[in-house]
Amino acid sequence: MTRQEIAERVIKTTARELHLNISDIRESDNFAMELGADSLKSIELVAAFEEDFDLSVNEEEALQVQSVGGAIDFFDSIINKK
Amino acid sequence: MLKPQNMLNQSQISALIQQGCNSSDWSNVILAEQCEPDRFRNVIFIGNVSVGNNNGTIQSDGIDLPCGIYNAIISNCTIGNGVRIANIGSVVANCIIGDEVLIENVASLVGETNSSCGNGVELDVVNEGGGRGTMLINQMTSQTAYLQALVRHNAAFTKNLSALIERQAKVNCSGMSIGENARIIHCGAIKNVNIGPFATIHGSQNLENGTILSCPKHPTEVGEAVLAKSFIISEGAKIDSGAILDKVFIGQAVKLGKQFSAENSMFFANCEGFHGEAVSLFAGPYTVTHHKSTLLIAGLFSFFNAGSGSNQSNHMYKLGPVHQGVFERGCKTGSFSYVLLESHIGAFSVVIGKHFTNINAPNLPFSYIHEEDGASKVIPGMNLFSVGTVRDGEKWPKRDNRKSLIKKDLIIFDVFSPYTVEKMLLGRNELLALSDSTPKEKAYVNYGGLQINRLLLRKGAKYYALAITRYLNDKVCSRISELLEQENNWEKATASFKPQSQLQRASEWTDISGLLVPREKLVELEEKVVSGSIASFDELLTELQSFYVGYKKYEWQYIYETFSKEYHILLESITKEQAIKSIDEWQKAANSLHSMVFEDSKREFGNFAKIGYGIDKSEEETDHEFASVRGSAETNGVVQKISKELIEIQERCQQFTNLVITIK
Repeated sequence: MTRQEIAERVIKTTARELHLNISDIRESDNFAMELGADSLKSIELVAAFEEDFDLSVNEEEALQVQSVGGAIDFFDSIINKK
Repeated sequence: MLKPQNMLNQSQISALIQQGCNSSDWSNVILAEQCEPDRFRNVIFIGNVSVGNNNGTIQSDGIDLPCGIYNAIISNCTIGNGVRIANIGSVVANCIIGDEVLIENVASLVGETNSSCGNGVELDVVNEGGGRGTMLINQMTSQTAYLQALVRHNAAFTKNLSALIERQAKVNCSGMSIGENARIIHCGAIKNVNIGPFATIHGSQNLENGTILSCPKHPTEVGEAVLAKSFIISEGAKIDSGAILDKVFIGQAVKLGKQFSAENSMFFANCEGFHGEAVSLFAGPYTVTHHKSTLLIAGLFSFFNAGSGSNQSNHMYKLGPVHQGVFERGCKTGSFSYVLLESHIGAFSVVIGKHFTNINAPNLPFSYIHEEDGASKVIPGMNLFSVGTVRDGEKWPKRDNRKSLIKKDLIIFDVFSPYTVEKMLLGRNELLALSDSTPKEKAYVNYGGLQINRLLLRKGAKYYALAITRYLNDKVCSRISELLEQENNWEKATASFKPQSQLQRASEWTDISGLLVPREKLVELEEKVVSGSIASFDELLTELQSFYVGYKKYEWQYIYETFSKEYHILLESITKEQAIKSIDEWQKAANSLHSMVFEDSKREFGNFAKIGYGIDKSEEETDHEFASVRGSAETNGVVQKISKELIEIQERCQQFTNLVITIK
């Protein structure tokens, strides 16, 4: 999976879970500050990423991710085992 | 108390009359040998009055004033040594007053013969409509109150327990007395109130039919503008600033004030109530409500923290206010939360928002119950990695303010205990079953009036599994370490793993308002009360104390059996390899949960937290201001402690592994 494909999936999942338009989400967006994902939503978001990527993540590492770009890098590193 | 006493001689009577004193029968007035008649001014003696030595001084408002009686009507009182009674509006009547007592500027202080002083009054707790009547007695504890209010399925038990408590209430009814060193100043009317030694009552407006228990180690204080009727206040409590109480029990070291009002309610050790209102409340130990517009009604709570405007409703305008709620230990409600009763919230859960469905989720402890678009939703187990839960667990034992020699309420503080772990096991299994049976197309599943995001079913089960793994393996490894310190041989050490207790159902536990107990021990207690082998209140307390003392023993049987069920390992035959695997399991689970708590604590110092800091300032100035007000993750004590504990987990794991490897 390319980084571009991962980015598209992260943004699509984020938009669905946070009820946002895909076009409104940028890689630089902070989940909490810009996209309004509180700690409750963050948990749901991690669960949604897990299902959409069909993998299980290390919870404590996933919760350290702050931004959309960070999430893309995080899943890129897992999927492509960088 | 009193030295040899004398009837008054004629010259003494003349002197007293000259000082404005009077009596219809001076032969009923008895003064102690060294009692100075000079120290009686404008006193009317009615009936039998005896007075002890009065030649000393006593402090009032920081000034030494002479003992004696000034401007007062005294009727049928026994007064001790070193007492000052001054400026009484109407009368001091039917009281036994101890040594060194100060009574000054009080409207009236009147006892009636055989007054029960609050004992025997029945409170409608938990259910405002009745059916859980709990009788006030001086010796009440959170456990005995729980037995009265909450164990109602067995009519014979209820009957015998009520009879036993009623007998104790009658023993307690001995009329009005004021204990040594008590101070009652600037108060309104006080009627039928027993006042314990060293108690201070200042500025109270009206007190009627109550007992204020107090002791030298922890004096009780009833302060300004308090209105209280039918009450018992325990040692070390502080009730002040306009509190209004009607049919209330106040436990040890409880603080109520700032216009807090309560009726038909009980507050046990270390509870705090300010500004708000309590009705039919069973406030177990450490129930705290500090804010205005907060109503706690018709519910069982403990280790609870109410956000401002928290509210529950127990009335559906059908059969009256008959609905009740259970918030298991450790719950919190957010600002302006609302819970429709009946509801049962699992231990250590947080409730945010307004909930118009009846919630029934005792098997989902450590959860976040929140509102989204009017629907009640739950994230199971999320509170397991909240830094708040960690802080709460640590602060309660440190904030036990009870200083009395006897701490009446028996409290097991453990956040992770057989009680909560068993609930997590049940919750984990329920969530996994739901996950297996829910199709992917379904976004939410219904659970006890709540909705769970399908994606969170496995997530919640995973959180619970982590906490269960950490608890079981932590306890097992600690036990192995302890045993190896005593016995330098693996087989001999592990042979001692067998539990000392022989519970038939070690997995079933209950929380008797602070005291965690195997359910079958409670059943045994019920049987003993029914059969009459527990026939007195003291025997009941002794039985409860034995549960408290036995907690670790029962807990170990729970761990032993649950570990065996979860890992299929009989602990007395555990191998070294299995023990090393156990510490590894513990390390992974502890690390994972601890890291999540660590991240949660660091979030408190993230960009989000800086909103509102550095108004109209640059980013750099904002950072500086935030650091000066809030500190940083690097300097915060809680964050650093969690960080240090992360290192300790690794160290402990290494030490344990080395110990096991080197042992024969």
